[in-house]
Amino acid sequence: MSANAIRARVTRRSFQLELDLAWDERVLVVFGPSGAGKSTLFEVVLGLHPDARPLVRIGGTLLDDPDLRRRTPLERRGLGWVPQDMLLFPHLTVKENLRFGVARSSGSRPLMGSGSQPLLETAIEVLELGPLLARRVDEISGGERQRVAMGRALASAPRALLLDEPLASLDLALRARVLPYLLRVRDELDLPILYITHDPDEAMIVGDRAVVIDAGRVVADGPPARVLWSRAVLPLSEALGLENVLEARVLETATDHLIARTPGGLRLTVPCPTPLAPQHTLRLGLRAQDILIAADPPGRISARNVLDARVVTLETATDGVLVHVDAGEPLVAKITRAAADALELAPGARVHLVIKSQALRRLA
Amino acid sequence: MSRAELLSMTGLTLQVALVATAFALPFALALAYTLARRDFPGKPLVQALLALPMVLPPVAVGIALLLALGRRGPLGPLWSLLDVELVFSWWAAAIAAAIVGFPLLVRACEQAFADVDPRLERVSRSLGVGRWQTFWRVTLPLARRGVLYGVVLAFSRALGEFGATAIVAGILPGRTETLALGIYSRVQLGDDAGALTLCGASFVLALSAMLVAETWLRRPRRRFEGPGA
Repeated sequence: MSANAIRARVTRRSFQLELDLAWDERVLVVFGPSGAGKSTLFEVVLGLHPDARPLVRIGGTLLDDPDLRRRTPLERRGLGWVPQDMLLFPHLTVKENLRFGVARSSGSRPLMGSGSQPLLETAIEVLELGPLLARRVDEISGGERQRVAMGRALASAPRALLLDEPLASLDLALRARVLPYLLRVRDELDLPILYITHDPDEAMIVGDRAVVIDAGRVVADGPPARVLWSRAVLPLSEALGLENVLEARVLETATDHLIARTPGGLRLTVPCPTPLAPQHTLRLGLRAQDILIAADPPGRISARNVLDARVVTLETATDGVLVHVDAGEPLVAKITRAAADALELAPGARVHLVIKSQALRRLA
Repeated sequence: MSRAELLSMTGLTLQVALVATAFALPFALALAYTLARRDFPGKPLVQALLALPMVLPPVAVGIALLLALGRRGPLGPLWSLLDVELVFSWWAAAIAAAIVGFPLLVRACEQAFADVDPRLERVSRSLGVGRWQTFWRVTLPLARRGVLYGVVLAFSRALGEFGATAIVAGILPGRTETLALGIYSRVQLGDDAGALTLCGASFVLALSAMLVAETWLRRPRRRFEGPGA
């Protein structure tokens, strides 16, 4: 029997979520586009959907079982929930927020964390919250709020952590600052973690196992590296930031890379640590933001793939310009508005696409 | 009118209003929280019934109370058994004031509770804090301003309560004669100077209560009403 299991069927007027999961790995990443049902999964784990007849076992403890008529109330589930918008208590200081659930940790359940050190101290240390303790929660930054929310959950001596897109509300620079704390929490406190994200990189870095949810169903389940690029996930590629998917056939292989050719005639250099037989079919994913556009032919350059292309259309996106090009295969690149203006890109313009071979991900 | 008379009437008025508010508050909090957080069949009916004491003629409320509290009413045997005489006592005045102020209190508290994000209560419970503790540690502190506003409103309403009180408590000098009742009886007796003095006292009391409300509750927004509150 697995240490963790979730089985439930949530029915809403416009939405249905069916779950049947069992796993032993420490970090389960719940992955999928927004609206897929990821947050509803958390609500099931938190016991907020009793009508779904849920079976929930976390860290070896049976929380809900419809057959045994067992239901554990939210306050006794022992789950360190970090909601997406953190929900710090606005009338309390950082320290008071951290201490909020501490009473529970002095109870009978064995303390987790390093040795006999109280969990609150451990959380403050690991998340470097010391300098923030006296502050009010509206005085601290987004990244600090995220750390406080995590600390608050940890200090309550949970049997597992539920992290709901902990990095999503942070900008890129902040993500890079908060991620190491997250990894420290994962590595220094031996806790099962359920981790919701829609970012494939995050899922790969953090997860030991991944489930992909789409439209209320689990469409893939397994090791992140395998699951995130599986065929089941392909229809979600765009939602996952993989705007270009290419089929290609292996032409020749070398020690650490191979050359492949698409039906449209593109020759691509792809990293490949294990040799593949010629004529093997590959499916490659390429993010729009990983394609550089050059107006003039680049000279000596490390990127192994430089492709001639013609601009088809320009499309304004919320965070830049999507440049649709024809390079023998239709491709889409994402660049900033300023870059598009500087290159004087217009339909019909001849350009050169620069693609690092590392940016080509093997999907299947 | 003697100074002692004025003081005792003012004291009685304050006593009645304080007891009325304190008596109404726990019921109002429980009812307001339920209304703010739960949907149940008949909720509109409950809310309509709740508004009745505010819209009915106070005299009608007084008659209803007379029936409920009197020894000749349906609950009479109970009062006889307990050997309590509520009608024509200051307790009756307090009960009348509590009932008339109750809708104001519930409305303000309901609004205040509705403004507290229920997800904060969920987070609290997920941290191992039960429903009851969560109410005291999260919901009530965050709703504090609105609850206090309701308390001041209900208290002020109780200070001036006349119609229901006159019916159920009578106008008994020294026992049930609050300022509002005193003004009326002075006017009936043709004691215009006395009536005016009592009006002055009422004015001071009401103004003080409202000043408290305005200065205390309209202070610059406190820290916990910042973003995310």
